[in-house]
Amino acid sequence: MRIALIGNPNSGKTTMYNALTGRKEKTGNWAGVTVDSKESPVRSQFCSGAEDCVAVDLPGAYSMSPFTSEESITSSYVLNEKPDVIINIVDASNLSRSLFFTTQILELGIPVAVALNKSDINEKNNTQIDEALLSEKLGCPVVKTAAASQKGLKELMDTASSLVGKEQMAPFNPGQIDKDSREQVIASDRKRFAWVNTLVAKVEIREEQTKDQALTDAIDAALTNPVLGILSFAAVMFLVFYISQSTLGTMLSELLAGWIDTFGGWVDGLMAEGSPLLRSLILDGIIGGVGAVVGFLPLVMILYFLIALLEDCGYMSRATVVLDPIFKKVGLSGKAVIPMIMGTGCGIPAVMACRTIRNDRERRAAAMLATFMPCGAKLPVIALFAGMFFPGEKWVGPLMYFVGVLLILLGALLVRAVTDVKAGKSYFIIELPDYKLPDIRLAFGAMLSQGKAYILKAGTIILVCNTAVHLMQSFTPALKLVEEGMEHTSILAIIAQPFAVLLVPVVGMAAWQLAAAAVAGFIAKENVVGTLATVYALTSYIDTEELALISGGSEAAAVMGLTKAAALGYLMFNLFSPPCFAAIGAMRAELQSKTWLLAAVAMQLCFGFVVGFLAYQVGTLLTTGALGAGFGAGLAAIGAFAAVAALLIIRARRSVNKETEKVMA
Amino acid sequence: MTDLIIGLILVVILGSAVGYIVKQKKKGAHCIGCASSGKCPKSCCTDKK
Repeated sequence: MRIALIGNPNSGKTTMYNALTGRKEKTGNWAGVTVDSKESPVRSQFCSGAEDCVAVDLPGAYSMSPFTSEESITSSYVLNEKPDVIINIVDASNLSRSLFFTTQILELGIPVAVALNKSDINEKNNTQIDEALLSEKLGCPVVKTAAASQKGLKELMDTASSLVGKEQMAPFNPGQIDKDSREQVIASDRKRFAWVNTLVAKVEIREEQTKDQALTDAIDAALTNPVLGILSFAAVMFLVFYISQSTLGTMLSELLAGWIDTFGGWVDGLMAEGSPLLRSLILDGIIGGVGAVVGFLPLVMILYFLIALLEDCGYMSRATVVLDPIFKKVGLSGKAVIPMIMGTGCGIPAVMACRTIRNDRERRAAAMLATFMPCGAKLPVIALFAGMFFPGEKWVGPLMYFVGVLLILLGALLVRAVTDVKAGKSYFIIELPDYKLPDIRLAFGAMLSQGKAYILKAGTIILVCNTAVHLMQSFTPALKLVEEGMEHTSILAIIAQPFAVLLVPVVGMAAWQLAAAAVAGFIAKENVVGTLATVYALTSYIDTEELALISGGSEAAAVMGLTKAAALGYLMFNLFSPPCFAAIGAMRAELQSKTWLLAAVAMQLCFGFVVGFLAYQVGTLLTTGALGAGFGAGLAAIGAFAAVAALLIIRARRSVNKETEKVMA
Repeated sequence: MTDLIIGLILVVILGSAVGYIVKQKKKGAHCIGCASSGKCPKSCCTDKK
């Protein structure tokens, strides 16, 4: 028996799906979190019949009209896959909006059970719904549920199971309408809304009227104010990054780094008489490299915890409202805010979330730009460089995120200029859910889940990469051991050297180690940390007696031979150049065009180079009074990028002018 | 002898890591150990819409 869970965005479908199946799919107290269908067997405690039950979680939709790709996923699934039963999850606290879609679902001829979800919120607000009357008027069973606490789910599933094979009548008859006629569809929708409103007036008794000003409205007046809203958003995000990267996160990271180094010391003792190559591989390559990445686990977990709290409390929708006007000015949809914020966790779901954007060009632009937000994988890179080169300075981490936002805005302007100079207006409507105290349990669960994935990545991809890096660093192309002082003859150095030349305008020197780390970062951004730790043997500079990173930082920085300006330049290059291959793969799927994908990667490479170059050159000028090495070459490269961009913009304008002339003629 | 034991342990650990990566790749995962692993459907990274 296949059961489709269908309903408006943020009605609790995924929460119910997780409860029924035992899965841990991502949820959030804002619309647009689920963008694709998922299915899984229902747990036996909820499926007591002989037949196996499979639940299908679908993206939220407000109607059966296929305007956005996630709504078309829902309507396509229902029309093509013909589930045995539909459970329509209705937000009981928003009955009039929810039932519009319900009446459309009831017309499909598939048996429907309505789950009046979030009933616990109604109880708190003293809102009463007469389920028996509602059920009679809709012509289908109605069950009260609270998916977050798993209330009513057994009854709901039993009800759904009993409907299989039965006929479903529609309570509202729209009559014959031509769906290609906008006027007829609008008129029909108005009639449908009128029918729903009449029904809601009969079945619902509310203590709080929509027109009444609630505390939520007062808070929203501030948080969605154009000025206060932006300041609040900046303050909230600064606080999130400050807590995760400068205080609690750093403290726990240093503790963990100390334990890892202690472990390394113990292994060193065991291998005192062992082979130098094996010793070096294990201590520097594996414990050093993987340990350097794992050491930042607390930062990543705390960041994910705080973001989960923000998502659950209802603030994220307000953030999208505040940023929407700014995004519109640069040609992005307001919905692009959602992927940008998701990008602080991982770039892949951020790119996927772009499919909620209707306009083709805006969707592609958002998919190209989403990965400019430093993701969780880039956090160790930020933390490493901040700790080594800017100890005690709290601005480094937050600055990277604000530069990310700036690059998104600049990138959007560039994309708009190159692709569609006279872009049409797009509209952005989002539901603002009620504020609620975030579920600490959920946030904790999200944190542990991300932490587990981080450890898994460290123990697989990072481990294998660091081993490969160390071996390539230890042997020459003739497979002889590299002698001390002759590291530049290693396989790794020979491969990385050509790329090192490209980095001269960004770091002031052709260091193959930095190039190797940057290239390894395309497999996983954490590899930048692991590779640097391996090639520079950074573990020997972590002092376990004192604060691990800070006291050893300056010595480690000296080993790398970078100035502060060069370190900042290199950091920015790694953060804002193309993301990992997995994220590039996600972009390929969303952009669906080789041209757009190449343009995206090229733009990211150019932007990464430009910000790295500017950070290094300006920083060097300010600190030494002279420009850094490679200034001329870097400027020439930037000139070439600008020339290409200018040519593309001119070509786009000529094309638009030709189209205009044709239309006028 | 120590080298041999440690070498064997290393081979087992690395072999397990490589084996896990290969197994995940065969399952169709493009993001090994990625926070979104398992939540990224096929259409995310392979199929065109």
